[in-house]
Amino acid sequence: MTIAGRLPPAAQPVLHLRGITKTYHMGADIEVKALRGVDLDVYPGEFVAIMGPSGSGKSTLMNILGALDAPDAGTYVLAGETVGKLNDDQLAAIRNKRIGFVFQTYNLLPRLNAIENVELPLIYGGDRHERRQRAIGALEQVGLGDRITHKPSELSGGQQQRVAIARALLNDPAMILADEPTGNLDSRSSAEILSIFQRLNEQGKTVIMVTHEPDVAAHTKRIVRMRDGVVAHDDRVANPRRAEEEIAAGIGAGEGGEE
Amino acid sequence: MKIYDSFRSALQSLVSNKLRSALTMLGVIIGVSSVIAMVAVGNGASAQVQSAILSLGSNIITVTPANLSDQGLKGAGAQSQNLTEADMRALQDQLGDSIKATEAEQGAGRWQVTAAGNNWNTQVTGVTEEYPLVRDWTVGAGEFFTQSDVTINAQVAVIGSTTATNLFGDADAVGQTIQLRQVFGNGQNARARIINFKVVGVLDTKGSTFGFSRDDQILVPLTTAQKVLTGRRDVVNSIVVKAVDSEAMTETTNDVTGILLARHKITDPASADFTVTNQNDTLAALSSVTGTFTLLLGAIGGISLLVGGIGIMNIMLVTVNERTREIGIRKAVGARRQDIAVQFLIESVALTGLGGVLGILLGWSITQAVGRIPQAAQLNLLITPGTVIIAVGVSVAIGIVFGLYPAMRAARLHPIQALRYE
Repeated sequence: MTIAGRLPPAAQPVLHLRGITKTYHMGADIEVKALRGVDLDVYPGEFVAIMGPSGSGKSTLMNILGALDAPDAGTYVLAGETVGKLNDDQLAAIRNKRIGFVFQTYNLLPRLNAIENVELPLIYGGDRHERRQRAIGALEQVGLGDRITHKPSELSGGQQQRVAIARALLNDPAMILADEPTGNLDSRSSAEILSIFQRLNEQGKTVIMVTHEPDVAAHTKRIVRMRDGVVAHDDRVANPRRAEEEIAAGIGAGEGGEE
Repeated sequence: MKIYDSFRSALQSLVSNKLRSALTMLGVIIGVSSVIAMVAVGNGASAQVQSAILSLGSNIITVTPANLSDQGLKGAGAQSQNLTEADMRALQDQLGDSIKATEAEQGAGRWQVTAAGNNWNTQVTGVTEEYPLVRDWTVGAGEFFTQSDVTINAQVAVIGSTTATNLFGDADAVGQTIQLRQVFGNGQNARARIINFKVVGVLDTKGSTFGFSRDDQILVPLTTAQKVLTGRRDVVNSIVVKAVDSEAMTETTNDVTGILLARHKITDPASADFTVTNQNDTLAALSSVTGTFTLLLGAIGGISLLVGGIGIMNIMLVTVNERTREIGIRKAVGARRQDIAVQFLIESVALTGLGGVLGILLGWSITQAVGRIPQAAQLNLLITPGTVIIAVGVSVAIGIVFGLYPAMRAARLHPIQALRYE
């Protein structure tokens, strides 16, 4: 570990970014510098919101964090593994083993039922025998133990997102990467999803969530604000809001932000 | 990704698009079934031709008189008249056990035959005693005439089963007398010649060759035909030698040629006054004709198979396009390029493989239906294991070939672009 010396001895970051740049070429001579040198460390057990206006580079950063895209330059170490220069198949293995994705549009396969959707990461890595049990376990964890054979079209948006979270949990990833997970949901469902993330975080899961809604970000422990391709602010949240309490009080999580 | 999972997800997607899968498969089904049916017809035809040739006797070498030169033009002259029974006897003596049998024939033309108040017109041929051996023909009732019958010009006859029925009905022909009649002149000057023959045997039924019944004929000793019926003494139309087996054909052909050249005192084989025809050569020539025929039929089927394959490719490209988002999702959760490629390849191979199996069933039904058409009743339609293996192999190969490009396209999709695809 070459980076070990530069890190606090107490814990290694689960996510370690230094000088990440990414430039997109649109057409012949138009260049878009999406990331201009991002430095970021995320430690195990953190719950981080990445915020920023459109064009700030947060989606590009998300793609690089998710090993869906490779940076042009810079160091990216995920759970001790240098991700920067891996080939397509190695990136696929990283996505499979280390990262659990939750998308704004759920991204479930419509033909498969809940349990088959959740099993998907294990189809591409891991053995077949425990698959079903683990998928059922993950669905129970997100409170969908009674909906395991439903197809996505038979589930509400919030339930579909919970299936997606169960899928993200299945390979016991180093971090859960959520891209606007409540963007398509009403306040009530948003609060439920956030409460699941908070509960998982309390159990020790590292969660990184991209959002443009301050109300949603207020449920995390740390807010990273992007602007013009760099990290502009990086603040601790003093008192994160508790989604469970809000549900109990009958208030949606995203009041003002929705509708 | 395990193969089991690949198969499961491929089948799931095929089942979820039933109509499309069925229509796509139809191209392959029609292609494979037409290959199967057409090749079966082709094989049947060639088997029929082959068995027709072999029904004339197997491993046969035929010696016929050559056409002589006329004023320097080779083959333009009359047929030479110098092939004799003695030539045949010489072959019999000199080749001994290295051949199975040999016989000489002289056609005596068609004769009006009467017996028991019935009359009939049929072909009469003079042959020697080993005719049944050479021609693989058994005598049903009575016996074939012997060498001594040939030697003494006995007026005995062996008749075909059709001839027997026409002359004697259900009654026993053996021991009966038949009369061969020939009429000279016209009107009042007409005079008839009547020759009596005693029937000593009736041949078993053999069927027809190229549409000619071979059961309607009368066989008499060669010498009797020469001296009593035709007057063309000491001349035969052909000498037929039966080799011991197919492998010995070439050697026996050379032996026969050598002996006859020596007997006819000819040194240059090119100017031989006889022609030796090897049945294997005839078979080879005919099977190359029927082989071309089969190939042509197969090619027609192959074209429809190709069209089916293009249909598969088309649909797979549409499928990949439609499922771009699915590909993105699968890649996001860890599918490698090869996982995606294999999934789509298995889908196209499943389409063509299943299409191939259904095509074989359809092709089989078609041959069954064709077999019921009266004109094709004699055709023995053959679906060989080879045809089936090739048909399935080709359809699976088509699935791979035409599924490869769409599968590669799916595998190469960038996960982010695939996920953004609407």
